[in-house]
Amino acid sequence: MSGGGIRFEYRPLPDLDRAFIERLGDYPRGPDIGLEVLRAIGRSLAVALFRLQFRLEVVGRPPELPRVAMAANHASHLDTLAVLAALPRRHGRGLAVLAARDYFFRRWERAAAAALVAQAVAFDRQRYTELREWSRRLAAQQRGCLLFYPSGSRRERRAQRGMLLVVARSGWPLVPVAISGTREAWPVGARVWRPFRRIRVVFGEPLTDVPAAEVEQRLEAFWREHAG
Amino acid sequence: MEVARAILADPLRSYTAAALVVMVVLAGVVSAARIGAAWTPMRTWLLILPALLVPIWLGAGAWTLFVTAISIFGFKEFGRVSGLYAERPFVLVVYAGIVAINLAAYLRLDGEFLVAPFWTILVLTLVPIALNRTADTLQWFALSVVGLTFYGFFLGHLSWLAQTPFGIGPLLYVVFATQLNDVLAFLFGKRFGRRRWTTLSPNKTLEGSLLAAATTVALTFVQAPVAFPHVPPWGVLLAGLIVGIGGQVGDLTMALVKRSAGVKDFGRLLPGHGGITDRVNSLMITAPVFVHGMGFLFGRF
Repeated sequence: MSGGGIRFEYRPLPDLDRAFIERLGDYPRGPDIGLEVLRAIGRSLAVALFRLQFRLEVVGRPPELPRVAMAANHASHLDTLAVLAALPRRHGRGLAVLAARDYFFRRWERAAAAALVAQAVAFDRQRYTELREWSRRLAAQQRGCLLFYPSGSRRERRAQRGMLLVVARSGWPLVPVAISGTREAWPVGARVWRPFRRIRVVFGEPLTDVPAAEVEQRLEAFWREHAG
Repeated sequence: MEVARAILADPLRSYTAAALVVMVVLAGVVSAARIGAAWTPMRTWLLILPALLVPIWLGAGAWTLFVTAISIFGFKEFGRVSGLYAERPFVLVVYAGIVAINLAAYLRLDGEFLVAPFWTILVLTLVPIALNRTADTLQWFALSVVGLTFYGFFLGHLSWLAQTPFGIGPLLYVVFATQLNDVLAFLFGKRFGRRRWTTLSPNKTLEGSLLAAATTVALTFVQAPVAFPHVPPWGVLLAGLIVGIGGQVGDLTMALVKRSAGVKDFGRLLPGHGGITDRVNSLMITAPVFVHGMGFLFGRF
């Protein structure tokens, strides 16, 4: 008290002025007890339903925490659920899946489903400074579990450089993930999925000591080997 | 005539009908007086009104759930504005306190209703000890107590009012008269406001505040036969003053938090209003003052 008394300092949360739909896609996620509960419920339900409908085979060791970025091939909306189901529970809690803002975070219902069930966060494909922004975010984060699809689209099989290089240079361990069977279980363009298929998720070893310029080729080779 | 008599005999029907009439009248007034800024809040009222009326129609349980939900959500806004929300243990204890207070109100356990805040504060005192941290902890503790008091205990009186020995009339009066007082202060301020009188809420004008309070007092005499027929005229005057003045005190109290934190509104949930707190801040004062003030003078509510 003698040193000037007790000072109160209000610290409004930084996302205070952002609309709820925008906050749904924020990374790192701001504190929100209600959303965390809904995310946990959504995640558990999705994994349970997925396991009920598909035969899942997991190959390899799930990546080590406290921080890891997983780069997976992308062929179906089921890919995220397959990885979620393949990961141990403690990984799922902090998992954030990069999803296109222009597709997943424009409409309420889609944003809620993406954020609460698929654990999605928004990646703005159309913003010029987005990669720089992610580079800053990853450098600041000491823990987390990211899943992203370097191909950028379910129709594209080749990895795109942008986010891959950002992750490779950020110091986050980059783990290749190959998913197979989802393309047949829920093909692009199909309205509903086809249950009772076999789905396989392969976790590779972290791509450490790989020059940034070669990450792309190594990743594609891993996908070719394990996902066809 | 039969229909009109049936409506007047039942406070809930009376207030529902009156709320619809007032909405139409206010829309006319806003249109005639060309108060452009009032259209967005008016449109939002079309959502708020059913949100208030449906739980009341459903009964005390639904209403208590509704009050608990808005208290928790309002406290969340308070926490986000002040920074307290990042301190999860404090927030969770206050949430638990809000639930306990409203549960006691629903069960009409008056002793527990009054001591639930005390027990919650006692648990809050354990949080810094459990965290074993000194930095800023006193601030978070103090903000938690303020939040618990205003969102838990004060708003919890709305749950308490759902089951008074005098029926639902007092609840309807407190809720709708307070909301109307807010609307009137806004509209009178926009139309006749000249002199600003407080730095806590720079848009508030003397004309708006006084005209709203006077109109609220006058309208209380219209509502009294339906809402609390056992109260004598001087008590009706008192009820009008509690809402007319208390509502603005509540508004200013929460405005102080906003000004201190440097934000305009508590949230964006209600277009034209701000957050839940911006809508219920007046009730934080009017509900407890009405329950205890009027209860002391005219029989326990």
